[in-house]
Amino acid sequence: MLKVVKVSKEFPSGDGRVTAVDNVSFEVADGKFVSIIGKSGSGKSTLLSILGTLETPTRGDIEIAGSNVSGLSDHALTTYRRKRIGFVFQGYNLIPNLTALENVMLPMSFNGIAKVERKNRAQDLLNQVGITETKQARKPGRLSGGEQQRVAIARALANKPSLILADEPTGNLDGETGKMIFELLHNLATSQNTTIVVVTHDLSIAGKTDQSFRLQDGKLVTKT
Amino acid sequence: MNFITLGIRNAFRNSVRSAAIILILGISIGLSLIMLIAHQAVTNKISSIKSSIGNTISIAPAGFSAFSQANNSLTTSQLTKVKALPHVTGLVETLTDRLTTAGQTSPFSGFGGQSASTNPTNLISPVTLNSIGGGSFGGGRFISGGGQLPTNFSLPISITGTTDPSQLSGTNLTIASGKAISGSSSSNEAMISSAMASKNSLSVGSTFTAYTTTLTVVGIFTGGTQANSNTVIVSLPTEQALGGQSGDVTAAVATVDSLDNLSSVTSAIQSSLGSSADVTSAEAQANQTVAPLNSVKSISLYSLIGAVIAGSIIVFMTMVMIVRERRREIGILKAIGASNLRVIFQFMSEALTFTILGAVIGLIIGVAAGGPVTQALVSSNSSTTSSASTTGGGPGQFGGRGGGGGGGFLRQNFGLSAIGTNLKNIHTDIGLSLLAYGFGAAVVIAVVGSASAGWMIARVRPSEVMRTE
Repeated sequence: MLKVVKVSKEFPSGDGRVTAVDNVSFEVADGKFVSIIGKSGSGKSTLLSILGTLETPTRGDIEIAGSNVSGLSDHALTTYRRKRIGFVFQGYNLIPNLTALENVMLPMSFNGIAKVERKNRAQDLLNQVGITETKQARKPGRLSGGEQQRVAIARALANKPSLILADEPTGNLDGETGKMIFELLHNLATSQNTTIVVVTHDLSIAGKTDQSFRLQDGKLVTKT
Repeated sequence: MNFITLGIRNAFRNSVRSAAIILILGISIGLSLIMLIAHQAVTNKISSIKSSIGNTISIAPAGFSAFSQANNSLTTSQLTKVKALPHVTGLVETLTDRLTTAGQTSPFSGFGGQSASTNPTNLISPVTLNSIGGGSFGGGRFISGGGQLPTNFSLPISITGTTDPSQLSGTNLTIASGKAISGSSSSNEAMISSAMASKNSLSVGSTFTAYTTTLTVVGIFTGGTQANSNTVIVSLPTEQALGGQSGDVTAAVATVDSLDNLSSVTSAIQSSLGSSADVTSAEAQANQTVAPLNSVKSISLYSLIGAVIAGSIIVFMTMVMIVRERRREIGILKAIGASNLRVIFQFMSEALTFTILGAVIGLIIGVAAGGPVTQALVSSNSSTTSSASTTGGGPGQFGGRGGGGGGGFLRQNFGLSAIGTNLKNIHTDIGLSLLAYGFGAAVVIAVVGSASAGWMIARVRPSEVMRTE
């Protein structure tokens, strides 16, 4: 269960403060595929950062699987992120001088998993997302956008997280590839009982998710 | 993949830039190593020179030098005060004079102003002018009569009265036959060199005359310099009586209990004797001789520090540039679960890769250039002092009051001329310890240079990955 309770986030700006997320509350059950939609500057990415413990909220609490992560130290948050959360970014954010396989193995090395096990699991994950063995040995620069995003999804799944956060995962992809990536994420949510929260401005995607939240000027205006 | 492997691979992301960084670092580390080699070589040389000097102090009457001997002497009563000074463990006193062979024709015009009839002896010097390799003596510079030596000419002979007949000019003598005389005896007994004995057909028990007094040979010695072989040794009281110089001493050497006290005892003796004596220790002269080496030592030390700082700045600037370029990547690593420490270690490993490769290049530069640069530094700094040290303080060959020599029988040479000459012959030794220091310096450069980069890394928030989207 992902539980967001009266979360606000403010940033200093010039002579005042800007409220990026304003008193947002919602709940998501395990294994659900959820979308957060809104215009640019509505606070979607900030909310995703808070859900992913990349930012701490100014006020409010975040509970993931019964644990309140709002008051954890930086070190504890890093550990928590490593074990429980996976990220998929719009720009893929793969490490450029590592191969696709090494990129997927990387989060597992942070988790202390043995090399052989890391390699086997990374190969399995890449196979699941449709990256062939030949392409697994390629660096990101020699993969297409869709392939890079699939590698990023495999990397997000590496440490078997209970929550995957995706920020505009289809934003840099053409319609067909975007649809494939969406299907992949949807299948993962179902098959691995992983909660997936996707930030998007693509209403067609939002319409196919289990739940959808609309943000406007930092406030949650619609829950469906 | 561990952070070390990742750091090493990251070091080669941009091969052209990496090569440039490594080359610049190599030059910096090479310079550090050259200066380390120079510093160590010079330190060893200074240590070697200082360890070779004795813990003795030379005392001579003021203005007493070769070819300009003043008619003054020290007295035994003055030296008694020296003996009583703290840390003085021994004092050897000498009185030196010159004998001339009776019946010879002197070829010298004004060579010290001494006539051939002064202090006569029936001994003939075993030393010939050719044997001392002068050459200039025969060129008419000192010899009257067109540069030709008279056939009956004999060089003046030194006679030295000493309280320690076991050594001469700081050289221990070996008794080849007979026995050593006592330094405190007043008997008319003498020791002569084996060369002198051979030249004059003398043996133990034979007699010869000096100052019109008959002396008995009780010992024949070997060893020492060529000048020593031209010397007759008697006890100090005997020489004082023979020469009519009761209580006079022309030189003395005080022995000090420790090198640490050499300087203070030298000052104490000078203070005790006042302006009537020149008091010099080997330490002061050695310090003067090694002054240029100390200068090179300082230059090499400052250059070493400068080169290490320069290397650290190069690594620092490189790492700052790399961290600024890769802020988003640092954010990604933190977002997917890497701890601050792990990311810092990864970048330190990258810095260490640059530095170790730079160290290899620096090592080659250092080994190739360390010796020549050290020699060049020493040569350029020692030429003036080396020249000065080889011309100063030379003791006279032929002792004798009013004679041609300096009379400095026991004025020690200390080998300082040789030190001056050999100052430039510095040996650079590049051993494992030096290489270990070099690599240690490289690691220090890497750690210091990347420390601030680590601080910058720690400040990068994982949310950076979202902001740069």
